[in-house]
Amino acid sequence: MTMTEEQTMLWDTADRYLRDNADFNQRRDQIAEGVYSQPQKWQAFAEMGWLAMPFPESMDGLNFGLREIAILAELCGQYLVTEPLIDTLAVASTVLMHSDQAGALVPDVISGELIAIAAIDEPTAESRLSPSSTLSKTESGWHLQGRKYWISAGASATHFVVLADSCNGLAWVLVAKNAEGLSCETFPTHDGKGGANCHFDLAIDDNQILLMGDAASDALSAFRECAMTLSSAETLGAAQAALDTTVDYTKQREQFGQPLASFQALQHRMANMLIQTETTRSLVYAACDAADRDSPDRARFARAAKVKSAAVGRKVTQEAIQLHGGIATTDEYIVGHFFKRVTALETWVCSKGEALQEFMALDNNKIAPAGPA
Amino acid sequence: MNASSPLPTDSDAFRVAVRDFLSEALTPELIRAGERTTSVFSDFEAGRQWQSILHQRGWGAPDWPLEYGGTGWDIQQRYIFQEECRQANAPTPVMMGIQMLGPMLMHFGTPSQKERFLPGIISGENVWCQGYSEPGSGSDLASLKTTADHDGDDFVVNGTKIWTSMAHYSDWIFCLVRTDKAVKPQAGISFLLIDMATPGITVKPFTSLDGEVEQCQVFFEDVRVPTANLLGEENQGWTVAKSLLEFERGGQHFTIDLKKQLSKMQHMMSSETCRVTADPTFAYRVAETQIDVMALEQTELRIKGSLTAGDNPGALSSLVKVSGTELGQRCAELLIEAAGQSAIPWQSEVLAPSYNGSTAAASESVTTMAEYINSRATTIYGGTAEIQRSIIAKHVLGL
Repeated sequence: MTMTEEQTMLWDTADRYLRDNADFNQRRDQIAEGVYSQPQKWQAFAEMGWLAMPFPESMDGLNFGLREIAILAELCGQYLVTEPLIDTLAVASTVLMHSDQAGALVPDVISGELIAIAAIDEPTAESRLSPSSTLSKTESGWHLQGRKYWISAGASATHFVVLADSCNGLAWVLVAKNAEGLSCETFPTHDGKGGANCHFDLAIDDNQILLMGDAASDALSAFRECAMTLSSAETLGAAQAALDTTVDYTKQREQFGQPLASFQALQHRMANMLIQTETTRSLVYAACDAADRDSPDRARFARAAKVKSAAVGRKVTQEAIQLHGGIATTDEYIVGHFFKRVTALETWVCSKGEALQEFMALDNNKIAPAGPA
Repeated sequence: MNASSPLPTDSDAFRVAVRDFLSEALTPELIRAGERTTSVFSDFEAGRQWQSILHQRGWGAPDWPLEYGGTGWDIQQRYIFQEECRQANAPTPVMMGIQMLGPMLMHFGTPSQKERFLPGIISGENVWCQGYSEPGSGSDLASLKTTADHDGDDFVVNGTKIWTSMAHYSDWIFCLVRTDKAVKPQAGISFLLIDMATPGITVKPFTSLDGEVEQCQVFFEDVRVPTANLLGEENQGWTVAKSLLEFERGGQHFTIDLKKQLSKMQHMMSSETCRVTADPTFAYRVAETQIDVMALEQTELRIKGSLTAGDNPGALSSLVKVSGTELGQRCAELLIEAAGQSAIPWQSEVLAPSYNGSTAAASESVTTMAEYINSRATTIYGGTAEIQRSIIAKHVLGL
C-alpha cells in the first residue's frame, strides 16, 4: 500500500529474485553444512545494487532511503534470508560511511568484498551501550583488548566493527576477521544466520579507528536506530509470511470432515494476526518515513516500531505454530523458522524492553498532534 | 474569517485557521458540553446548535463531496479539522444523518430524494436515527422481521427496532424492513426513510448503565410510509445496509479520540489525586498503549490516504473498528485506574452543559467512570467485534 512506482519496482525485482533463489529446503541443506552466506547470492545482491542502497551518489551509491532498504528487510523476513544484508547495511550506513576511511571502505562494501558486521554485545558488560572492551594508546599506536560475543551473522563477516571504550570516549574499530591477535569462534545459530564469539588482543593502526568520541557516540545512536527499524521491517515480513502460510494451510487441512479454516474460533485468531500485522506495518513504514525526512519524531517512531513489531512478531508466529499443529514444530516445516528468526531479531542490537524504556524517556514523548510521521 | 475567504492549503496554516474559527465560535457552554461528553453523543441541544453553526460556516459535512455541500478539503485537512474540534472540546452532534445516511442518499437516492433530504441533514435541522437491530435480530441482522407491505401508494410498516440511538430526539428514522418473506433473508430487505411523526410510531427510551438515556426501542403499528421514501430498489436494502455499515465503521478517525484519552491520562498522572504514579508497571502499560495508538493512527492514515472523498473503505474498516474500539476500552480502563476512588461519585446533573457548580468527583475525573462504562458498548454497536473478525476472515483473508 502507498508505495511509489520506484519502490514497487524494487519490491517486485527483489521478490522475484528471492523467490527463485532463496529456496527453503536449500537453506536447510546449506545451514547443515555451515554455509550461512552463499558467495554467489552475495555477489548477486551486489550486482542488483542492494549493497549500494544507503550510500550517496558521491560514493557511487544509490542514495536510497530507509524506506527502500526496509523493503529488502521485509523480504529477508519473508524468505528467511541468512545472508548478512541488514547487518551490513545498518553498520555501513551509520558508522563506516561517516569515518575518514569511508572513501576506501564504501566501494568494497558496495562490491560485496567487505562484509563488515557490528560487534557490540559482550559477555560481562552491563549494557551494550557501555563496552568493557578497551582501545588504549600505546607507544606505537593503539591496542584493542576485549571480548565480543554472540555476534549475529558473525560467521559471514570478513571484518568486525568493534565498539570499544577509549581514553577519548567510545570508539568504533575495524578489525579483519583473519587479523593476528583476533581469535574467533563461529557457530550455528537458531535463526540460521551463523554467529561468532571473538577475543580481541591486538595492535590497531590509526586507519582502523573509524570514529572516536562524540562522533562514535552519535554513530552508535544512529546505528541502533537504524537497526531498530530494519529489525522491525524484517520481523514484519516474517510475521506476514507466517500468517500467509497459516491461512493457506488451514484452508487445505481437514479435520472433522471440514477445512480448519471453516472453524470460527480459528478464523478469529487469524483475523487478530492480520490486525496486528497490518498495524505493525503502518508503524514500520512511518518509522522509515520519519527517518528519511529526518523528522523530530524519528527516534520516537523507531522505538515504537521496535516495541510493536517485537510483540507482534512473537504473538503472530506463536499463533502460526499453534494453528498448524504438530507439523509446525518440526525443522522440515517453514513456519517454525519464522518463529525462530523473529525471536532472534527481538534482541538484535536493541531489545523490546530497551526500546520501551527509551521510548518512555524521550523528551518529545507527549501526545503529538495527529498526522503522518 | 467569513465564509467566502479561501482557506490556506498549507496544513499548519489550515490548522491555525480552524483553531481561530473554533475559538471564536465555541461558547463556554458549548465547550462544557464537549468536555462533559461521555459517549459518542454530546448533550443533544448543544450538538444541534453546533451543527447549525458549522453549517453556516460551510463546514457542516466536511466529508461530503463539494456538490452536496462538502468542503473540498483533502484527507489531511479533514483529519486536522476533526482533531481541532475535539481538542477544542466542541460538542459532537448526532451524526447518523451526516456520516451514514448522507453517503447512501448520494449513492442510491433519486434526484428528488437527494434534494428533499440532504439539506436538512447538513443543516442539522432534521435529526436522523438508525433502525437496524431488532429484539430478535442483533448480529444476525438479516433475520429482521419488521415488515413493510404494499397498500396503494404506501408501505404499511409493522414491527419494532431496538438500540436505536437518539430515537427520542429524532425527526426521521432510516429503517431496514422486510418486503419479501419468500426469498432468502438478505434478498427480501428494503431500506425505508420514515418520518418519526407518522401516526403509529412510539418510542420507549432505555436508561443506560451510566444513568443517561441514549438508547431506545421504536415500535411501528400500521405506520403508513409513501413508496417514494424507498431508498434504492425494493428488496435491495441489504446492499445499502452493508455499504452504510462500512461507512459507519470506517468514517471515524478513532485515533483523534484515543489521543485525547491519552492526553487526559498524562494530565491525570501529573495531578495530586493520582494514585498510580508510584506504580512503575502502570507507566509501562500506558507507554505500550500509546505505541498501539500510534500504530492505529498510521493505519488510519494509510487506509484513508488510498481513498478519495466519498469512497468506501470496504472490509478494512472492520480492522480499524476492532482496533479503535478495543484500544478505546484499554484507555478507558487505564483512566479508571488512574482516577481511583475519585471517579466513584455518580452525579448525572454535573454532565449538563449548564451546570456550573462543584462536583463530588475530582474535577479531572468527572466523566471517567461514565466513559469507562460506555466504552463497553463500542465493541457491540455497529457490528460486534466478533462480527468484524468474521468479516476480516472472510473478505480479507479469504477463509
